Amino acid sequence: MTETNLTVAVIDPSRARAAILEEGLRAAGVGRVVVLPDTADLTERVTALKPDVVVIHLESPSRDILEQMSGVSRQVERPVAMFVDRSDTTMMQAAVDAGISAYVVDGLRAERIKSILDIAILRFNAFARLQRELSEARGELADRKLIERAKGILMSLKGLSEDEAYKQLRRKAMNEKRKIADIARAIVTTADLLG
Amino acid sequence: MRLQLGYVPLCDAAPLIVAHEFGFARAEGLDLDLSAEPSWATLRDRLALGHLDGAHMLAPLALASRFALSGPPSDLIVPLQLSRDGNAITLSHGLWAEMEPAGTTLDAIARAFARVAQVRREAGRPLTLGTVHPFSCHTYQLRLFAEAGGLDPSAFRTVVVPPQHSVEALARNLVDGFCAGAPWNAVAAAAGHGHVAVLGSLLAPDALEKVLAVSERLDGALPPLIRAVARAGRWCADPDNRTELVHRLIRRNYLDLDATLVGAAFAQDASAETTAGVHLRFGAAIQEPDLRCGRWILRQMRLSQQIAAPDVQDAGVATVFRPDLYRHATTDL
Repeated sequence: MTETNLTVAVIDPSRARAAILEEGLRAAGVGRVVVLPDTADLTERVTALKPDVVVIHLESPSRDILEQMSGVSRQVERPVAMFVDRSDTTMMQAAVDAGISAYVVDGLRAERIKSILDIAILRFNAFARLQRELSEARGELADRKLIERAKGILMSLKGLSEDEAYKQLRRKAMNEKRKIADIARAIVTTADLLG
Repeated sequence: MRLQLGYVPLCDAAPLIVAHEFGFARAEGLDLDLSAEPSWATLRDRLALGHLDGAHMLAPLALASRFALSGPPSDLIVPLQLSRDGNAITLSHGLWAEMEPAGTTLDAIARAFARVAQVRREAGRPLTLGTVHPFSCHTYQLRLFAEAGGLDPSAFRTVVVPPQHSVEALARNLVDGFCAGAPWNAVAAAAGHGHVAVLGSLLAPDALEKVLAVSERLDGALPPLIRAVARAGRWCADPDNRTELVHRLIRRNYLDLDATLVGAAFAQDASAETTAGVHLRFGAAIQEPDLRCGRWILRQMRLSQQIAAPDVQDAGVATVFRPDLYRHATTDL
């Protein structure tokens, strides 16, 4: 895609996500990509930038600002329209699932916006996957710390070796069909209460 | 049965929040998942695409969504009205001082506003006023405010100010005033950045503000949902429940604001004459979908040049506003 003459504005409450999309659009050859902060003066910023396309995350409260700049109010100099390709509900569903809405300057051809939306969907989904993995990793780390503490409690209370303490935890978890981390949490909580 | 309902954190979302929090939904065998939506546009899209089963919605936006004037195509219907009135126009202290209205009546205030707006337009620095979404009573109330002073509404700019930005927008002079629902006028006034100039009910008496909009596919879950929300709305209307209601609404997962500011929306003892008028209203008297309200909204859309006359016929309102469903579900309440 060579869209060197297009200006795309990106609005996203998450700066990290905005940066990832910005990089993706640049790499795809979009001439000008500008990340706009989600602040009270957005109307002025968009008016000054005159973008051809605005990609905005669904979490942004500023979406309603763009709706006012669209065709329904005719005081606007360069009206934008929400990009809803009625023939392509799959595309629309995919965009909303990824958290994207796009507004385009009236008259911009659908093919040109579609490639931008494709990139945005890919990037936002990748970002969501990364976040999920990160929170899972954080959860695993927290679980491991809990298990370490529970093992320590068993070792000092019952005079067990580290290996025996872990085996007891695992046996209890299997018998009760629960996760080892859950058993560990119960032990730690109890010890906190009684200690 | 589990239902996903969306709302925008405002005082008039109370009937949905109360239906969930005070057991009205559970009594009907419903489990409500309430989600606070970041904008009206996102709420509209999620309802149209089936992510939400129902929502607390600006009445004009519900019609605009169904008539394909705004957002993706939708099949939504309105089986219950949530609230009437509750909006107000807050003006910056600077503008208010410049206006020096000759009296405290709507007429005096609107004329004073019109005079300043005219001067500012001629000077090439038109006033800027905020609304919440193009398809809202707020937009129409700003136009009616201009007309009440004999002013052409195109004399000032209209922009959208998301409520959470309204105080900052006034403080930084990005807007000279805004029309918003409760509690945002009280919030701006308390922050010292604005003066509540006119209540919406003086400009458009009995305006239908928020509706319960649901997907037409809801089917069997609809009658219990109507009953739960109807009973919750009646509970909200009872002054005896006001303290409890305010304290539930201010929780962090709902409005997350000060009790005094939220409570102001439900206080009927406004002392200043300028803010005299009707505040936010809930309850049995306003719940049945009223086709006249739908037609009034369509007329406002035409007068605000959002639609041309033949775009949407008045008869179309009856496909969206469904008093029959409301009556059928609430006969034994």
